[in-house]
Amino acid sequence: MIKRHAVFWLYFAMIPLLGGCWDQKELTDLAFVTAMGIDKGTGGAAYNISYQVVIPANVASGTMAGGGGGQGPTIVVYNSSGNTLTEATREMKKQIPRRLYFAHTGIIVIDEDVARKGIMRLLDPLDRDVQFRTTTLVTVAKDYKAIDLISTLANLDKIPMNKIIKTLEVAESVLGESIQVTVDDIMLNITNPGKEAVASVYTMKGNPKKGISQDNIKYTRPPAVLKADGIAVFKEGKLVGYLEGESARGAVWLFNKMKETYINFGIKGENNAVSIIPFKSKVKTAITVKNGQPVANINIMSIFRLSEINTKYNINDPGQIEKLEKKAAAQIKKEVVSSIRTAQKYKSDIFGFGEQMYRSNPQQWKNFKTDWNSMFAVMDFHVNVNAYYRESGLKGNPFWNDTEK
Amino acid sequence: MSILSKLLKKKHSRKKNDNYRQKQDPASPAELLIQREYQDNLARMKRELGNSTDLVVREIKIGQNQGALVFIDGLVDAKTISEFVVETMMDKNIPNENFDIFQYALNKTIALGSVKTITNWNELYDLLLSGCTIIFLNGYNKAICGETKGFEKRSIDEPSQQLSIRGPKDSFTETLRVNTALIRRRIKSPNLWIDSMKIGRVAQTDVAIMYIKGIADDKIVQEVKTRLNRIDIDAVIDSGYIEQLIEDETFTSFPTTYHTERPDVVSSQLLEGRIAIVSDGSPYVLTVPAIFVQFFQAPDDYYSRFDLSTSIRFLRIIAFFISLIGPSLYIAATTYHQEMIPTTLVIAIAAQRENVPFPAFFEALIMEITFEILREAGLRLPRAVGQAVSIVGALVIGQAAVQASIVSPLMVIVVSITAIANFSTPVFAMAISTRLLRFALMIMAAFIGLFGIMVGLMLMSIHLCSLRSFGVPYMSPLAPFNGEDQQDVFIRYPLWALKNRPKYISKGNRIRIGENQKPEPPNQSSADKPGSGKGNQE
Amino acid sequence: MLVGFPLSLKQDAWIGLLMATALGVLLFFIYYHLYKMYPDLPLTSYLQEIVGKWIGRILGYLYILYFTYLAARVLRDFGELLTSTIYTNTPLFVLLTLSMIICAYAIQKGFEVIARVGELFFVVVYILAVVGFTLIIISKLIHMEYLRPMLANGWIPIIKTVLKGSITFPFGEMVVFTVLLPYLNQQKKVKQVCIWGIVLSGINLAIAAVINIATLGIDLFIRSPYPLLSTISKIKLANFIERLDVLFMVYLMISGFMKTTIFYYAAVIGTADIFNFKDYRKITFPIGVIVLVSSMMIAVNYTEHIKEGLKIVPIYLHWPMQIIIPSLLLVIGLIRKHSKQTKKPPAQTNS
Repeated sequence: MIKRHAVFWLYFAMIPLLGGCWDQKELTDLAFVTAMGIDKGTGGAAYNISYQVVIPANVASGTMAGGGGGQGPTIVVYNSSGNTLTEATREMKKQIPRRLYFAHTGIIVIDEDVARKGIMRLLDPLDRDVQFRTTTLVTVAKDYKAIDLISTLANLDKIPMNKIIKTLEVAESVLGESIQVTVDDIMLNITNPGKEAVASVYTMKGNPKKGISQDNIKYTRPPAVLKADGIAVFKEGKLVGYLEGESARGAVWLFNKMKETYINFGIKGENNAVSIIPFKSKVKTAITVKNGQPVANINIMSIFRLSEINTKYNINDPGQIEKLEKKAAAQIKKEVVSSIRTAQKYKSDIFGFGEQMYRSNPQQWKNFKTDWNSMFAVMDFHVNVNAYYRESGLKGNPFWNDTEK
Repeated sequence: MSILSKLLKKKHSRKKNDNYRQKQDPASPAELLIQREYQDNLARMKRELGNSTDLVVREIKIGQNQGALVFIDGLVDAKTISEFVVETMMDKNIPNENFDIFQYALNKTIALGSVKTITNWNELYDLLLSGCTIIFLNGYNKAICGETKGFEKRSIDEPSQQLSIRGPKDSFTETLRVNTALIRRRIKSPNLWIDSMKIGRVAQTDVAIMYIKGIADDKIVQEVKTRLNRIDIDAVIDSGYIEQLIEDETFTSFPTTYHTERPDVVSSQLLEGRIAIVSDGSPYVLTVPAIFVQFFQAPDDYYSRFDLSTSIRFLRIIAFFISLIGPSLYIAATTYHQEMIPTTLVIAIAAQRENVPFPAFFEALIMEITFEILREAGLRLPRAVGQAVSIVGALVIGQAAVQASIVSPLMVIVVSITAIANFSTPVFAMAISTRLLRFALMIMAAFIGLFGIMVGLMLMSIHLCSLRSFGVPYMSPLAPFNGEDQQDVFIRYPLWALKNRPKYISKGNRIRIGENQKPEPPNQSSADKPGSGKGNQE
Repeated sequence: MLVGFPLSLKQDAWIGLLMATALGVLLFFIYYHLYKMYPDLPLTSYLQEIVGKWIGRILGYLYILYFTYLAARVLRDFGELLTSTIYTNTPLFVLLTLSMIICAYAIQKGFEVIARVGELFFVVVYILAVVGFTLIIISKLIHMEYLRPMLANGWIPIIKTVLKGSITFPFGEMVVFTVLLPYLNQQKKVKQVCIWGIVLSGINLAIAAVINIATLGIDLFIRSPYPLLSTISKIKLANFIERLDVLFMVYLMISGFMKTTIFYYAAVIGTADIFNFKDYRKITFPIGVIVLVSSMMIAVNYTEHIKEGLKIVPIYLHWPMQIIIPSLLLVIGLIRKHSKQTKKPPAQTNS
């Protein structure tokens, strides 16, 4: 009995000694890639990949004992060219003293030109990689190069990647003009029948040359600021255009992702006299077939509160309220319609009307499957919006009512 | 090699034992008898006790008879002897006739509570050495033994190890009788039975087995007795000796017997059907069978209300896991699974570790070992120096170590939390076993990350499930699962809902509390009763 | 639950699983009747009773090999997952050896301990599952519309797939019960507990399939080698509850351990029974080494391993071992019993 135990434990205790530590990676040997930029390659290569790598010591300034961190910039950007993502990444290792580590990559920025040529070839390496998360966000760099965007230092967040992600989040939930799209979402939309992919769009305000300097965050009005800007529309994996402003907002309604936004409209002949904030919305889409043609019926229900009202108006009168509601509904409808029209112009069914049909009526879908996108471009749709007034803010009637002394 | 030598050693020691035993057992029982001539007896006694200086022999004359009073100084109450033995013996009024003076002395002179006649030397020594006074009378081949125990003993103090906020504040002492009395005082039932035996070939320590007849499982009682009888050792200095000799499994770091210094804990465990083993000279009483969850139950749990005790019990379980896997999780997360940690945190940790030259495992090991050394040193140091150690310790595990770039600040936090969490286990034996396992898990984590930790934990669970304490599965009532007994595992049910004694231990009388013990405001209960409310209205 | 989904059914996978559960219960009745006939004997013994000593022995060997193979397969499944997700650089051998040590240790401790550990781990797994499920719901990952269209291709493909695969895996693997049941203590409860177990696990599997499909969508569900892992890695909550792959690993280790141990134990017990070993503990280690080595040698890579598991094994191995042989045994056994009852005295002698 003793003998068996002894042998067992001896054997057991020796295991750690026998083995190396294969997957062990000390924190100090890792280069945390927080963002990744994909641009058109130089010198014949297909891609130029840039990685935003965090410099931990500079991020955690103050907490380091003796280090006296916070001296340099918080990130460093490396870039390298290659015909595939793998090639570019491996080539980059010539420049980096540590192992690249992708598990914390939060965002991928794809250059406009690359996106127009098609993003299909970028997806598989991201999907396949063990470290890489498919919950990483994807965004398109508009008007600027991807490397410029990920090299720009930001003020409120020490890690610029966090700034981009949080801005997107806020833009989606408060403004409703952009959405967060992950690698997963793109792949799902590309593979799902009757649906096309979208991505968020990023651009810059200011001078990209100044953004890469530590100086950028020393100004109170930074010379370079990143900014979320609408939605990119893909068709069969290729960028075909953008939705901006109203039509972007309309798309967010249709994606059923609208949380909060603002809507302006005029009343009593005063332009933009009212500003409302819809804060709870529900969208229902049903696709029917009429005379052999698909028709989309879209029902939107939205609850809003009053944010501004800059004219005399009696909001205690139900009749007047109804007027407001109608106006709001009309405005929402306008946005949604403009959004669908734009998408139809691009011939890209980003709203998944086709998918809707496939889910509810797989038999009929078979008839439309082959050329859905051109069918979508001409399809009829009905938008029905119901808006409901719920809150007035802290006050009842506006002070305008009392301005006649 | 080592196994062989172990075996050899074993044989060797067995031989020694045999020799020893032969010496102890005399060849003929006749030699054991007390002689008629009291001087012979005294001489023999002096010879056999090696003229020990604490042996007091007082020659005395009772009536016409010569006799002698023998006791061991320090074990007896001198006042009792002088008042109730010597004084009464010297009484001049003892009739001078020729009659059985022995019987007279036994019945009339010695005014002690417990008196006994003995004829056998072995018995005589037993009693003499446990504090009795022996009276030889010339011409009688027997002796009188009077109970005069009265040695200096520690008074009943507050418990020093197992503290509680609420509840009784007394604790066991080193005296067997005091300890049994402390229990007896709490359970005034004729069914509380005490069996005594002497263990230790040389030391002859008194050991008492206490249990409540009708609640405790007779089979387990029998098993305890068998195991205790099997013990053949020279001395039992502390109940720890007994624990190590009767436990089910030696090769485990988990305690399979429970020890406590609190009489209230022992009493409540007796009432659950457990068996207590009290040994003289030890302020710790063993109770068996012990199960795993029992080590997370503190006496306070039962004295305060159930919601509080339940949440505190959960806290304790969390603390147990922290103290078990805290450092190993840190190692695994920082060297294998960086993706687990939120981005901002992982970068903060990376920044902290930037200047630390050691791998995370080594860093953790340094800190853990340093802490264990400090703790051990703190235990052993005289109280006056303890203060100094804590100051130095705070420096070592703290700012100075961080500034010297030996460890990262987070490591300091991990080690401190682990240590504090470890202290929250109510029973030290379990806490110390966690400490031990922690290091094994750290090695596993350094070797292969979380997988290693899981391997360690799974081996541990298999091991735990295979343990038994006096036939009771160690992990009961979790595995084997027993729905009824869940009332006192994670959630401590309200006292009135703790209806039955644990199924896995107690046999026979299992009802702990009567029906309808749920407290209710008086008028409400009367209103609930059908008819009574109506009656009032009419 | 690692790879056990009938992927070819797409969004109807869960229907297939429920159907397989029903068939699984039927299958269990076959095993149960066999067990009732010989309540004290394991499969390897009553094989010899039913079909004669020599054929019985050969079948017994086959079953031992089969169990060994299954143990090796489960072990490999599990090892592959670890090497392809978390431990990409660690040799498969090390991971498998460590897992085998756990199993061997449990078997050394005996069936009772395995059962108790199972109970303990069952609770852990359930808590994990509930936590994971709640997190998935809270992070709004469930898209029930992915489950539609239901039954797009009718019932026929479902029935086909169920018969080809799902019935044998995981439910047909209950054939190990034929070896284990005689070692249980409370023989009266066997039927009830087992059926409950089957139904419960079937429902759980179906729920898991539904959740996986509803979070991943069909395409990802089919394409991921480990749908559950993909599902869990999608959880993202409050910016810090994310990347919970670890949860999956814990779950995986526990279920992998239980399955391997049971097959391994069946192989050990069966061997001990056929070769008349008094103490099966002596052969735990050798058989463990066999399981370990064969799990390394089963396939060159994951693709081959899976292909083997989904295409070849169910039809050429599972069907005969799990369904055909037990059914034949039952039929022969019933006939024998019948004839024994009709002419009692002479039949006693030959077996």
